[in-house]
Amino acid sequence: MSKISRRRFVEGTSAGLVATTVPLRGQTKAGAPAKSAIKVTVNGTVHRIEVEDRWTLAEVLRDHLGLTGSKIGCDRGECGACTVLLDGKNVYSCSQLAVWADGRTVETVEGLAHNGKLDPLQEAFIEHDGPQCGFCTSGQLMSAKALLNHNPHPTADEVRHAMTGNICRCGNYNHYVESVLAAAGTLSADARRKA
Amino acid sequence: MNSLKTLGHPTSRIDAMKRVTGTATYTGDLRVPGMLYARVLRSPHAHARIKRIDVSRAQALPGVKAILTHENCDVIWGSGDMRNKRYLFNNPVRFAGDAVAAVAATDRHTAEEAMRLIEVEYEKLPFVLDPEDALKPGAVEIQAGGNLSPTARGQREPETYRRGNIETGFAAADRVFEDHYSSPHINNAQLEPRVAIAQWNGDQLTVFTPTQGISNCHTEMARDLKLAPEKVRVICHYMGGGFGNKNQNHDFELMAAVLAKNAGAPVKIEFTRKEDFLSVHGRWPTKQYYKIGVRNDGTLTAIQLRGYSGMGPYRKGTGGIAGIEIYQCPHVERQVYPVYTNKAVSANLRGPDYPQGVFGLESLMDDIATALKMDPLEFRLKNMTRKFQDQLEYTSIGLEDCLRKGAEAFEWKKRWHAPGEGSGPMRRGVGVAMGSFGSNLGRSSAVIDVDAQGMYHVHVGVTDIGTGAKTTMALIAAEALEAPLEKIDVIWGDTGRCPYSVGESGSRTTTQTGWAVVQAAQDLKRQIAEKGLPKGSDLLTATVNANPDPLRGQARVSFVAHFAEVEVDTETGHVKVTKYVAAHDSGRVVNPLTAESQVKGGATMGIGMALHEELLYDRASGLPLTAGYYGARIMTHLDTPEVDVLWIQTEEPYGPFGAKTLGEPTIIPSPAAVANAIFNAIGKRVKDLPISRDKLLGVLA
Repeated sequence: MSKISRRRFVEGTSAGLVATTVPLRGQTKAGAPAKSAIKVTVNGTVHRIEVEDRWTLAEVLRDHLGLTGSKIGCDRGECGACTVLLDGKNVYSCSQLAVWADGRTVETVEGLAHNGKLDPLQEAFIEHDGPQCGFCTSGQLMSAKALLNHNPHPTADEVRHAMTGNICRCGNYNHYVESVLAAAGTLSADARRKA
Repeated sequence: MNSLKTLGHPTSRIDAMKRVTGTATYTGDLRVPGMLYARVLRSPHAHARIKRIDVSRAQALPGVKAILTHENCDVIWGSGDMRNKRYLFNNPVRFAGDAVAAVAATDRHTAEEAMRLIEVEYEKLPFVLDPEDALKPGAVEIQAGGNLSPTARGQREPETYRRGNIETGFAAADRVFEDHYSSPHINNAQLEPRVAIAQWNGDQLTVFTPTQGISNCHTEMARDLKLAPEKVRVICHYMGGGFGNKNQNHDFELMAAVLAKNAGAPVKIEFTRKEDFLSVHGRWPTKQYYKIGVRNDGTLTAIQLRGYSGMGPYRKGTGGIAGIEIYQCPHVERQVYPVYTNKAVSANLRGPDYPQGVFGLESLMDDIATALKMDPLEFRLKNMTRKFQDQLEYTSIGLEDCLRKGAEAFEWKKRWHAPGEGSGPMRRGVGVAMGSFGSNLGRSSAVIDVDAQGMYHVHVGVTDIGTGAKTTMALIAAEALEAPLEKIDVIWGDTGRCPYSVGESGSRTTTQTGWAVVQAAQDLKRQIAEKGLPKGSDLLTATVNANPDPLRGQARVSFVAHFAEVEVDTETGHVKVTKYVAAHDSGRVVNPLTAESQVKGGATMGIGMALHEELLYDRASGLPLTAGYYGARIMTHLDTPEVDVLWIQTEEPYGPFGAKTLGEPTIIPSPAAVANAIFNAIGKRVKDLPISRDKLLGVLA
């Protein structure tokens, strides 16, 4: 996996980013916006729904399927609070159109626990105090889930790289990394505390 | 320190399950039947007069239910400006992002379309971005009466503090050092953007909103909408951070209420991330001129500061540049000029007055130690405060232990070297800085009742901004009631169900509301001892409006020292923080688990302030360039070092079980510690935050 951090990427492209910060939508003509029927499997349940083509996946999950666990922090692919798994890969659901999810599988934070039993990640997040305000937590959990799905025993550094697209302004990164390592069973005394 | 049954042991948050399962309900997750969506149109100019505004095309769009502009809405946002009348919609607009119109429509896309159909003709006015420029003759007047924001008494003079005689202090010095520093506007950048729902039921208004203080928000909304307080109810159950920019009542809540009234339907108003960055507020940018006198043995004789703070066009915060009180010194003079500019508005961000002031002060103190060939740690141990402002005894002080034990944990003696010593492109260096933050006793309330099952219901008007306030209140109640934590039920975040609370700002909740909880618990215990537990559906209730006497001749203060080690790549200017120790005296630590999160978070935010964050402006157009997470370069997983937390638990005689302030101090010395570490690494100092690569390479060239 590439080790280019988002910070480095952003530093290299800051001029371009400044120019693209204003969201541009096509001028909508009078009359109803275009709609499409899609079939999407969310947390194991098949939904056949009609969506406006301009709706994002985040919007459909939250406003139309009632799955408000995924948060919208920026709505422009910067913060990661809306992270869900799309066919197993962690994506920013604010930056995916709902129509693109047609025929695909989505997993959200609401699907992590099974039959009332929390996912080990959720257990660890509670024990190690991952969430402070909690607004980024669902996204942190889903990125962590995507990581553990393909790398069940990551190092602390691998966790940081895999989750660097998920911003926590409360700054509780130490506890998030600790939580993921604990869930993966790779939390060593050394990784937990250098002191 | 004696150990307690419930307090002082790492405890998971009582609402942690909700936070990890996506079931904690934030304001944006709520929907009420018939709800409209609102959007705000904002000024694209730094300063402009609105000559004409035409909403007819927007009004004609199907689905549009209400539009507000300065022409049909004259509500004054009282908490938006402490000195001037600030309307919800102002003309002229005074910064890029000032609100011009608000639209409510059946869905958010229609509201956004309607915004694009509003025609506004602007007459651009001259603008000024820099506070020192704004005070020069000929600068455009942003508020009537001039750009120096007046004091609370209406005087056009700097905010001033003096003790001793500054000239006597300089005369007594062997050497005098002078330098100047600056810090930029940076945004609070809490993850949850502003969103509120306003719903009228007749003349009764209910507002769901993320606020750091339901009580203040409630009082101020009623005031601005000219409603009796009992007609307004404010509810905030979960909220996604604030760090000072969700204090009090805000314009978006008032806009939602007026739109909902006019449209005859509930309204959910949402700000975009860019709006949240530009149109709410961030930390005030500063320019600081320090002059310090010292004897050859390192004893301080005088500290003088002249500072300028850019407040944006409205006076929403103090503009303070603080920190001098961490040093013992007989002669002090501080003059700070809060100045109107056409940048985004400035007000509270974590540790409000301190981190920028401590950055400048601790940078110069480090240079003085270097010039006197003293170890910067020894210099601080020699000169650190012993009495508050050299006058009042502290109720407890652990600053020396923060420095000594922190240095030990950090291995300061092993790691510190003469500044700039070393070779090769990668340089390592270490820095230390210290800070303090007032932890005053004050008014707050709590109601506790107990039912026949022995379940205690603790009603407190707190909101849980992320600090763990609910859990803290539950722990304090459990300890004071001698009851297991499982028997404590906390009712919070609703002015319809909770008594007054001071609000989650100024690090006051644990001390003030916590103290009210202790008082109520003691009362309830007396009642139970007298009458026994209630029977059937009866309750026993204790109500406390605690208003402790202010301390006389004493100061109650939290202390902190942070130690940072950095690795500087002198070829690319990249700085990596490689080790970090944060030593805190906050008295007794109520919950070490969540308290540790606070410290790690504050230190991390401070590292971001040191190295990354700045809302950059184009000087030609007066427009902001870096509003957003990428642009502001908010700290990520990859930027963050392991922060080791060290508790110096002093015996504090006042407050709930001796707990003092924690949340705000965590960021105070952090930017300075990192800046001093960079200086130690390369022997050169960057005096303007953030210490970005270009500036670093500049001083190295």
